[in-house]
Amino acid sequence: MGQMERTLAVINELEKGGLVSRYAIGGAMGATFYVEPVVTFDLDVFVVLPTDSGGLLTLAPIYEMLRSRGYQEEGECIVIEGIPVQFLPAYNPLLEEALAEARETMYADVPTRVLRVEHLLAIALQTGRPKDHERIRLFLKEADFDRPYLTAILKRHDLEELWERMNG
Amino acid sequence: MTPEFERIIAAKEKRRKDLAALSFPEKVAIVVLLQKMVAPIWKGRGREVHVWQIPAANDQSVLADPSR
Repeated sequence: MGQMERTLAVINELEKGGLVSRYAIGGAMGATFYVEPVVTFDLDVFVVLPTDSGGLLTLAPIYEMLRSRGYQEEGECIVIEGIPVQFLPAYNPLLEEALAEARETMYADVPTRVLRVEHLLAIALQTGRPKDHERIRLFLKEADFDRPYLTAILKRHDLEELWERMNG
Repeated sequence: MTPEFERIIAAKEKRRKDLAALSFPEKVAIVVLLQKMVAPIWKGRGREVHVWQIPAANDQSVLADPSR
């Protein structure tokens, strides 16, 4: 099993063990699923966290479990099988929806999930950094996407005006 | 635009489309190749980065011709 497969297998274990309710790959690696490869040094993993008894959402149990298995933190990431992974909790309705509707796929023989390209587009639009704008340009040029589905997302999350301003 | 320049632009577009159509593991191998190319530059700017220990795409020509 290769390094990426091992990393994904560990993340799958987190989901099976209930430390995350659901996960999906996003960020640059999520984008790479749909367009030409984009350089990145970490793997952004969006997660839905189970609420603890106090109703708090925290990444602490994930980090504790991974540390107990010998994985080290490095800046904002934790290095799992040699790949720095950044866990990002779904902090708004767009991300929650993106995770709920993420597509199931296989990486070699390991099952995983990647955010849909339409959600990656909407998230990039909402985030709005220069590199997000560049990513949107790439998606529009290279990715196959469902335009009515994207339009519905933009409408649901009040992003139509932003979209018009950027692409009008 | 001259015909020659148009041909070059069209070839670049085709290369990007071909790269976009590769499988996820093939793309990850190219990402690792890109990491190897840019890591020294990022490190030179003081940013700590680690190239993933995944076999990279065999050689850089795959970036020029993804059908190789």
